[in-house]
This record gives sequence, structure tokens and C-alpha cells, in this order.
Amino acid sequence: MEVEQLTGNLLQGLVLGAVYGMATMGLSLIFGVLRIVNVGHGAFIMVGAFITLWLFNAFGINPLLAIPFAFMFGMGLGLIFYYAAIRKLRNAPELATLLVTFSFGILLEEVVKFIFGSEFRGYNWIVGKVNLGVTVLPMSKMYACFGSALVALLLYLWFNKTRAGVAMRSVVQDSEGARVCGVNVGGVYAFSFALGIGLTVVSGVMLTMFIPVGINPYMGGGYTLKAFVIAVLGGLSSPYGAFFGGLIFGLIENGSYTLFALIPGVEPFAMTRFLSFAMLLIILLIKPTGLLSTK
Amino acid sequence: MYKVLTVKDLESGYGSMQVLWKPSLQVKEGTITSLLGPNGVGKSTLLVTVFGSIEPWNGRIYFGDQDVTNLPSHKKVEMGLALAPEGKHLFPKMSVYENLSMGAYRKKALAHKEESLKLVYTLFPRLKERKNQMAGSMSGGEQQMLTIGRALMTKPRLIMLDEPSQGLAPKLVGEVFETIKKMKEEIGLTILLVEQNASASLDAADYVYIMHEGLIKAEGKPEEIKGSPEIREAYLGM
Repeated sequence: MEVEQLTGNLLQGLVLGAVYGMATMGLSLIFGVLRIVNVGHGAFIMVGAFITLWLFNAFGINPLLAIPFAFMFGMGLGLIFYYAAIRKLRNAPELATLLVTFSFGILLEEVVKFIFGSEFRGYNWIVGKVNLGVTVLPMSKMYACFGSALVALLLYLWFNKTRAGVAMRSVVQDSEGARVCGVNVGGVYAFSFALGIGLTVVSGVMLTMFIPVGINPYMGGGYTLKAFVIAVLGGLSSPYGAFFGGLIFGLIENGSYTLFALIPGVEPFAMTRFLSFAMLLIILLIKPTGLLSTK
Repeated sequence: MYKVLTVKDLESGYGSMQVLWKPSLQVKEGTITSLLGPNGVGKSTLLVTVFGSIEPWNGRIYFGDQDVTNLPSHKKVEMGLALAPEGKHLFPKMSVYENLSMGAYRKKALAHKEESLKLVYTLFPRLKERKNQMAGSMSGGEQQMLTIGRALMTKPRLIMLDEPSQGLAPKLVGEVFETIKKMKEEIGLTILLVEQNASASLDAADYVYIMHEGLIKAEGKPEEIKGSPEIREAYLGM
């Protein structure tokens, strides 16, 4: 019985993990190309969640159709923030970019609170369920999982097969080397930041497909922390490493939930949080460049 | 003779620290022009400012007749200005071949990729042997060759070489200078060479500038520099 429950939970974990991975790719991309840690990461996820909520509740638009809209909106937001602040801070000390991205997060939270208020919201998208034998999953979760995997695959192909993707890879490996080859490094920075934010906002759409409740302006904080753990798992500067990091994280989170639930007197949800940060600490101690990195 | 590069009263630096204090120089077509001086006098800063990795504060840079002072680097590469930078800046997780391919990134260079590749492999047969090896796993000398080869892949008119002999064994230093001379004589490239190795550069160069504390202190044909004990003693330590 417990084995079956564990398998079911692990499967759920894998599905959630794909979404977690998707929610970290933007963070890794921006760190890889620009060497900037986006501390306001979770706020951009929150923006994606509100876009989905607003489109669904106000116009009845299917969350899947919210994806392209969220992506364009995120790209635009990323470009505005890049040209407004990040560009001038390219060579500034790290603290400056940390403070700026932190303030982006607060700015977004307060603007969203101003527009939508601070109460918890949700939406109800009914698209049926799918029986996977050991567990039953709503179709919306399956869409979120496969949508995330598809985005990761597209990003991988784009990185490896297109001229612009190769330019970005070269900047990740050595920006001055890329400049010497005639790559428009400033352009790559702007585009990567926009793409990273676009992906992050889209992941907000995916996450609400998974958990369509609890949407509020301050929901991003927990995701920022999880994204940091996943990014470190995936090797920090590799977006598809982050995707696999997300899968592992989802498995561990859900698997450990089942196990902790067996121990009497233990609150399993709190323990999974503890475990994820214990993991972060241990990885940083053993392999600070990230578990899946090749360095 | 046609001037490929003209630098006039250039000023630049890092943060608030000024490094270049109005040096001026010219590079004539088909020559090796050497910029000499001890460590830390601004030679590399001059190259990266000309290339556009850092912004000039003041002064002018002309490529041919065109004012390129505030042009971004990728446009300069397109015009035919190449840099083999100090510290190599290769792509460590790409193979030798992929590194060279990156050199042909601009569309103009891409159109000549095959012939450029042939040329690089003729100049550096070693790179052909190692074309599938990761750049990060090669020896210092091979990486140096790859840095120059990658710059050649951009199909340049003027190639700026920053310390190509740095950190190499004496035997390899000779080889590198032979190749540089070949690049001028057989391919007809124009070369701006930054070096600390004064004697080897004096032998290879057609014209020499001596840099000190961010400006040009002396210039002349190599014979003139060699013939002046004051210059040699004051700036070259030989």
C-alpha cells in the first residue's frame, strides 16, 4: 500500500518537477549570460500567475492560450527592466545588481497589489482527469508538465541549432571571446535578459495550471528560494540543466513527503522545505559549481 | 602608403582610473607595426579601446578613412578589424573547429569560411590535427595558435595581436614570430603587434612605437630604435 502511494507521489513529483524546472530556466539563463542573480525571480512568476488568472476570470481564456501572451508580456517587461537599469550596471559590483533585481521584485508585487488587491485568489479550469494507474492526475497538470518539457526542448534546440543560440552560448563561455568573433554582445545581453524574464513569466502560467489557487502578490518568495536550490542542482548557468534539476527536486520533494508522513508527530510539508535547504547546503559544500555541471 | 588604422590622442581607462593619456599612432597597410613597452603601461588597454571592448573617453580612431571611434566591436569586425586578445578568451567547452567556426560568425566572414579555414590550417597544421579536441584541454602554445587562428577566421584587413608570445617556451616564441611574418608576407595582412619581448618584435617589425605610462614616448624604424641606447635603456631595458 505504502509502496503504491510512494510511486504515485513520485510520479506527481516528476510532473511537478517539470514545472519547477521550467520555473528555473529563466533564472539560470540570466545568470549564465549576464552573471546576474535575479533576486526578484519569484515576482515574475507571480506576474505570470496573475496574467493567467485575469485572462481566465475576465475573458474565459484557456490558460494554455495565456502562454504566448505571458511570454510576450514577459519579454517586454524584461526589455524595459534591462534598458532602464541592468544595462548600466553590467560592470557594477554584484551588490548593485542584487539590490536592483530585489527592487524589481518589490515594485512588481506592489503594482500587482495595487491593481488586484492582496487577497488569495484562484480559478477553476475543468478539463478532466487522467488515470495513471498508481495515481489520478487532472489533465491541467499534465498540460503544465508537457508544456514545460516542450519549452525546455525548444530552448535546447534553439541554443544548439540557431545562429542566435550559438551566439548566446559563446557569450556564456567567454563574453570577450564572443566580442572578438563579431557577436553583438550588448544585443545578446538584452535579448537574454528579456528571454529569461519571458520564460519565467510563462512558468507562472504553468504553475497556476498545477496549483490554480493561492494566487496573491507575495506568492513568489517561496518559488525564488526553490528556484535557487534547483539552479544550483542543475549547474547554475545551464537552462536545461535547470530543467533536470527541477525534475530531481520535484521527485525529492514529493518522495520525501510520503516518507516524512510515515513518521508520527512530524509535519511532512514543513519537513520537505527543511530537506530542500539542507540539500542546497550540502551541494554547495560538496560541489559548489552545481551537481549536474560538467566543470 | 595607405593608413589602415589611425589613433589620435586616445584617452580611456577602467572606472575612474585613466590608463591612456593621449597616445597617437598609425598603422600602414601591409606592415607589421609593433607597440613595445614594459608590463602595465597601457598597451593592451590601447588595443581593447581601439577594438571597442571598452569605450574611449576622448580622442579619435579611424579605420581607413572612416571614423570608428564610437562604433561597436561587432561592426568593426565586419569592417575587417580583428583582435587576438590577451588572455586568449577561447571558448573552453567548444572544440578547436567550433572555436574557429565562431570566428566566422559575421555573415561576411561566413561566406569565406572554407578558404579561411584552409588558410588557418596551413599556417597552424597543429590545429588541423586537433580540430576535434576541446579548446580548454589544449596546451598554452596551441591555445595561442587557436586565438590567432580564430581572429584570422573573421577575414580581417588588420589583425591586432596582444602578447602572442606570452608564456610560451623559447622555441615556440620563434615559431610564433615566423608565423606572424608569414601572415604579412604571404597573405598580405596588416598587423599591429603588442609585445613585451622587445628583441623578437624589433626583428619582425617594420615600424615601432614605444609606449610608457599611457602615452607614446618614441617611435621609428626598428634600426633607429636599436641604434638609440637612450631609448633602449629607458624603456626596453636592453
